[in-house]
Amino acid sequence: MAINYRLLDILRRGRGEHQNHLIDGLVSGRVSRREFIRHGSVLGFTAPLLGGIAGAVGFSAATSKPALAAMGGTIRYGQIVPAAAIEPVKIADGGGVTMLSQVGEYLVLSAPDLTAVPVLAESWAPNSDGTVWTFKLRKGVKFHNGKEMKADDVVATFDRLANPDNGSNALSVFTGLLSKGGTRKVDDYTVEFHLDAANGNFPYAVSSDNYNAIIIPTDYAGDFEQNMIATGPFKLEKFTAKVGASFVRNPDYWGKPAGPDRIEVSFYDDYQPQILALLGGQIDIIQQLPVLQGVGLLNDPNFDIISTPSAAHQQVHMRTDSAVFKDKRVRRAIALCLDRAKIVQGLMKGKAQIGNDSPFMAAYPSSDPSVPQREKNIAEAKQLMAAAGMANGFEVTLTTEKYLEIPDFAVLIQNAVKEIGGKINLNVLDQGAYYGDAVYGKSPWLDSDMGITDYGHRGVPNVFLAAPLTSTGTWNSAHFKNADYDGLVKTYIAALDLDAQRAAASKIQNLLLDETPVMFVYFYDFLTATKKGASGVKPTAMGHLMLAEASL
Amino acid sequence: MKRVLLSLATLWLLSVLVFAGGRMLPGDVGRAMLGPFADQKAVDVLNHEMGTDRPLLVQYGGWMAGFVSGDLGKSYAYRAPVSDFLATALLNSAKLATVAFLMVVPLGIFGGVMAALYRGRAADRIISVAGLSATVVPEFVSGIVLILIFGVWLRWFPISATWPPDSGFLTQIYYLILPSVPLVLILFGYIARMARAGTIEALDAEYTRTAILKGLSYPKVIWRHVLRNALLPTISVIATQTVYLIGGLVVIEILFHYQGIGSLIYTAAHKKDFPMLQAGVMVVGALFAVATQLADLLYASLNPRIRFGDME
Repeated sequence: MAINYRLLDILRRGRGEHQNHLIDGLVSGRVSRREFIRHGSVLGFTAPLLGGIAGAVGFSAATSKPALAAMGGTIRYGQIVPAAAIEPVKIADGGGVTMLSQVGEYLVLSAPDLTAVPVLAESWAPNSDGTVWTFKLRKGVKFHNGKEMKADDVVATFDRLANPDNGSNALSVFTGLLSKGGTRKVDDYTVEFHLDAANGNFPYAVSSDNYNAIIIPTDYAGDFEQNMIATGPFKLEKFTAKVGASFVRNPDYWGKPAGPDRIEVSFYDDYQPQILALLGGQIDIIQQLPVLQGVGLLNDPNFDIISTPSAAHQQVHMRTDSAVFKDKRVRRAIALCLDRAKIVQGLMKGKAQIGNDSPFMAAYPSSDPSVPQREKNIAEAKQLMAAAGMANGFEVTLTTEKYLEIPDFAVLIQNAVKEIGGKINLNVLDQGAYYGDAVYGKSPWLDSDMGITDYGHRGVPNVFLAAPLTSTGTWNSAHFKNADYDGLVKTYIAALDLDAQRAAASKIQNLLLDETPVMFVYFYDFLTATKKGASGVKPTAMGHLMLAEASL
Repeated sequence: MKRVLLSLATLWLLSVLVFAGGRMLPGDVGRAMLGPFADQKAVDVLNHEMGTDRPLLVQYGGWMAGFVSGDLGKSYAYRAPVSDFLATALLNSAKLATVAFLMVVPLGIFGGVMAALYRGRAADRIISVAGLSATVVPEFVSGIVLILIFGVWLRWFPISATWPPDSGFLTQIYYLILPSVPLVLILFGYIARMARAGTIEALDAEYTRTAILKGLSYPKVIWRHVLRNALLPTISVIATQTVYLIGGLVVIEILFHYQGIGSLIYTAAHKKDFPMLQAGVMVVGALFAVATQLADLLYASLNPRIRFGDME
């Protein structure tokens, strides 16, 4: 592999310390090309620069070209009815996110391969300690009302989202990270984010991962549903609450014009009617298909399934302060009863990745792949139970929510622990009842001895690491309190450098394997069904559905 | 008058029950809307905006005052007046109910009368057994089978009952035929049985024998003497089923992707959208009251032997 040092030197000029360190990693072989592209995108390398550096180091710089979409036509898709008004600041449901993605755009797109792709921002870079991130905005972007998008709009968007008085759903991302006033205009096309705490993965917090963060105009008055003024390749034609919507091509779009003339959206209360509508040819795409409901479509030759890998998962918590689970050996023994490969094949029809009892799924660039995978081992589990003085088994109630395949997953766990004398009683609740008031003492989710909770996709594991597992975490069902862990998470989140992130991740992975407050058994794929031969349909695991390049 | 007052009292009781029932469920409204993972500050702000952090009595009083003056309030979830959603849903439900009604009432009565006329013979058995069997098939089963056969396989009818915007009258009816069939299947048995029983009773009556003996033609006897008396009980069955047809079609509406009042109430309950839920339940309750009153009036007008004075 010949390295073109002259070219590399030119490309290195003007790069910061962390960016150059990443390039060093690529040159020395410490960082693979894939990891370089993923982490480089977070540190603000543009796509041509990433390709150029990889090329200079001797990797093939070629990236696959997207297929050219045929122009014209109407695409009809089905989705779950949005749970509330389409209002970017407050939206909290998948149906609403899908709607936003028809008209709205983010500074950054968190792509299915976990790279951060520039959209309304052209580039970004952190200061040396990751407390200030500077974003350069794309020029010539127009809102659907004809006004140009400038720094003021970006500042207004993020101030609105970070303001606790607005009932903003994005507070769950911004609390402790970005406050109102932290977003500052430098000039019309440059914005600085002054963070409350250092963060090495900040671009994800302003990306499509934080789905409320579509850029909308300064003078937004809270009436988004009326006209949906944003910057995307389609603009609103008609919206009827609870029924559907239609969108038409935006002729003033800053990028390549959208292929389809129109998008027609039908809202459904459930998945089964969508499947029937797809079978009957009334819609062309089902935006999301849960594996259990979609089994019939998975093997139907008349339809294609787009399987987007995601970090969505179902956490199985074991309360570390409860009588049964206070000894970590018992928690480990239970984790050793599960045959993860079988669960992925049987329950998830192979549409999931095996988990290793930490939020670090294999696809995250910072995950340490050398941490050994936990496998089923009944002999060891029995030894652990004996050592913990519980050779005669245990009895506990597993409380969970009626959602997707969780009730079936609960039965699998119930059966698996029988091998070590465990008796699990199931208490499957309606979702509303399970989450209750979502505060300690008033929520089966947070108070039960054992439970299963669904967590949606995130491009970086920060949220999964903090709220459900740190001592002060607000979603800590396992009541796990470990000072070493808290420190490691803080280090991980602040680390700008991939090596530093990996070092912390490795320690976290090992610590969680040892303690096992929560089992992460699998990370399930996000499935989208289309008519046979449809191309250019781009879903994200957060629930966006991008159709600008789609054709049937 | 007494009956009207009784209905009003029932409706008031219903409003209290729905109001109290909804609020007794775990979790508050803001939390239900923003989800378990939302920041508590956001939930508090939302609850304050919607007024759901006020004392229950104040909330009930405010809602009742609005309701009486015709203001049904604003939907928590959609932040728009409930009346807009309710009006559309009611109209949709009424359309579906009408199509189903126009199919099942003549069919049911005809079937019942035929079964009675051919009592004990093959036609009677087929109508009775088929009607009863169809009644016990849940609508989600018959609905899916119909969709698979006529929507997916033969493609004669659209799967979704929601017609394209600006569709004409005939197109709307065409879209409503398939979802009406499961309702016809469920109701046919009831109506046919009532019509059959009534017809048999009338056929056995003295006045029928008299009519035949005095030389009237058989069809004339059936038309003038038997049916008039035979259908009285059927009418009250049909009237009570009207409310089911309008307010109780959650499964059909969801399966056939149709925005009626059944699914409106169902989703409102699910999302703790109380203004929508209360208004929906009250409207269906009011419909029920009106329909039963109308059935009684109709019954009385058809049957000179019954007058309200006698009943009271």
